[in-house]
Amino acid sequence: MKQMINTPPARTFRWLGVNGTAAELPQEAGNYTCSVPEGAEQTFVLQENSSLQKVTIEVGPHAVFRLIQIHRNTDDTERFSEIRVNCQESARFEWYRIVLGGNCYDNCSVALSGADSSFTAEIGYRLDGSDRLDVNCEAIHTGRRTRSTIHASGVMTGASAKILRSTIDLQKGCKGAVGNEQEDVLLLDETVENRSVPVILCTEEDVEGNHGTTIGQLDEDLVFYLSTRGIPQEAIYDMMARARIDAVIRRIPDPALQTALLDEKEAAI
Amino acid sequence: MNKEKTNVADVDRSFYDFRYADDSWKVKSGLTPEIVAQISEEKHDPDWMREFRLKSLEIFERTEMPDWGPSIEGLDMDNIVTYVRPNAERMNTRWEDVPTDIKDTFRRLGIPQAEREGLAGVGAQYDSELVYHNIRKEVAELGVVYTDIESALHGEYGDMIREHFMKLVPPTDHKFAALHGAVWSGGSFVYVPPHVKVEIPLQSYFRLNAPGAGQFEHTLIIVDEGADLHFIEGCSAPKYNVANLHAGCVELFVGRNARLRYSTIENWSKNMYNLNTKRAKVEEGGRIEWVSGSFGSHVSYLYPMSVLDGEGARSEFTGVTFAGAGQNLDTGCKVLHNAPNTSSYVNTRSISKDGGASTFRSAVVITPRAKGSKAAVSCQSLMIDDISRSDTIPAMDVRTSEANVGHEARIGRISDDAVFYLMSRGISEEEARALIVSGFAENVSKELPLEYAVEMNNLIRIEMKGAIG
Repeated sequence: MKQMINTPPARTFRWLGVNGTAAELPQEAGNYTCSVPEGAEQTFVLQENSSLQKVTIEVGPHAVFRLIQIHRNTDDTERFSEIRVNCQESARFEWYRIVLGGNCYDNCSVALSGADSSFTAEIGYRLDGSDRLDVNCEAIHTGRRTRSTIHASGVMTGASAKILRSTIDLQKGCKGAVGNEQEDVLLLDETVENRSVPVILCTEEDVEGNHGTTIGQLDEDLVFYLSTRGIPQEAIYDMMARARIDAVIRRIPDPALQTALLDEKEAAI
Repeated sequence: MNKEKTNVADVDRSFYDFRYADDSWKVKSGLTPEIVAQISEEKHDPDWMREFRLKSLEIFERTEMPDWGPSIEGLDMDNIVTYVRPNAERMNTRWEDVPTDIKDTFRRLGIPQAEREGLAGVGAQYDSELVYHNIRKEVAELGVVYTDIESALHGEYGDMIREHFMKLVPPTDHKFAALHGAVWSGGSFVYVPPHVKVEIPLQSYFRLNAPGAGQFEHTLIIVDEGADLHFIEGCSAPKYNVANLHAGCVELFVGRNARLRYSTIENWSKNMYNLNTKRAKVEEGGRIEWVSGSFGSHVSYLYPMSVLDGEGARSEFTGVTFAGAGQNLDTGCKVLHNAPNTSSYVNTRSISKDGGASTFRSAVVITPRAKGSKAAVSCQSLMIDDISRSDTIPAMDVRTSEANVGHEARIGRISDDAVFYLMSRGISEEEARALIVSGFAENVSKELPLEYAVEMNNLIRIEMKGAIG
């Protein structure tokens, strides 16, 4: 039976069809629960062992947890992930999500309950053909001086479709908090469907919430310049797609992991 | 400081919050086919309009309430009177013929003075009926039609009305569009012939006097090819302890290479549910400019929509929303790019204080037909205190690669440094904050004719003074 998933905390006009997605979730789920002790630093690469993965993480005081998810489009299976995180005082959670095609549905909700805690989401994708990416990402600020950054960057071709719902929720009491959202989408074919819903909710005065989105084509001047350097147009577009994914991978502060992921990306693309 | 706060609250009420004895004729409260038929009878509707109303009522009954915006639980349609006929002749063309109470109301709101000083024509609606309508002779001689919509429906423009009425906002659009289709009354019809430029604005003013009543005026404006018009809409009401409802509908048709500016200063009383629908269809090379100031109402759902249907059509939306105590104002806009090389620009500011909630909500849709289109949205919100709420909920739906869409949003507080700087120049904290907020809202005030900009700045100053101290 289908149920609504990826429902954002604030709904909008029904006719846009962005208030959630009706989906049939798999019966079996891979469950991961993790509690990161105070001051620890851990990096976890989530393997796609099942089509529904539920992840619950408690990041202790002054601890750092990095969750890395890469989807390589090896089959047509729909992949669902539900990530719930709570960050205690001065804790940091980093989510690196790389999607190289396929059908992915991600719901990531991060509670910044501890003072000075932070959350960074780095989402990079390359969608083609009938690929679909459906994301709901929430940063819920309740602790003082908390920080969140949701950054998404991707390239779409063919008849691919993407929905990104990102929410920065600055709740009462989170004085001094700052939330930033940034999205950059490159559309390269006539038949793509891109939907973006970047939301900022605010019930606290002493905060700052910022959002910026650019959706569209490559800058004509840039394409022209590269063409004059003898680079064919297809190669330019390919280069831009790779650059977006590479940028996400290179933000992971682990050189060995970076190299492995870059190799995986090359193999997948 | 407390004394000042009290005084200012008094000013705020006395300007808009006055009332006269309610000696109007009303239908029963609630909504039934009999009431709709009674309104239709009262308006001497042609058969097609009577059927349209009853069909709309059916749509209303089967359509769900919106589940995505502010709560409208306090609105009970069983307690709303949908038609109130003031004790006046409909459609006077001389102020002298308008009954004294009503004339006084509009005089206190400055409407006759504004007409004398800088308007090409004025329409004044009191409850469910237009009580005054006039257009300058020299403007009428250009072929410009500005009249109440009922007269137009029965006159030589009847076919034009039938061709356009609720075609842009069909009753199936949402529950309150259906309600409007069933019980609409009053409003204006404007037709500007091809290549006619109306140099000074037309204005309609809507006043709702009766407690527990609804106002459902319909505004239909057709600006033909190459023509140019600025239309101003104002609205206010005295405050009552019962809910009032405004579910008007504005349909604007902007022809090829024509331009229409539609300005609104909305200052309904704070018991009003303002569930208004505004939409413009813009043809090739045409341009719609929305200027919108939202200050009043208890709850607002207001999102003027531009349908850019012809190549090179353009839309601009400039808005400011000021939500104070007891207000939940959900405002914004929608733009549908449905033709090549269309462009839109949205620039809004919202301010929340004293526990008020403001939401900026938008939708920018680029269809596969809209190749070469561009859209830019900028929204900024200011939180004056920590008991208020400010949300931005934009959505973008892009279905072609040959388009560029940009969006930026910012929520923050008044900069302490800016307040400190102004105070170091001898300005009180209260004045400094009011000055900063006025500057924040300048994007709208600078787009308004001078007298309206002054009124808007006064409203902000009054609200800000009430907020501090």
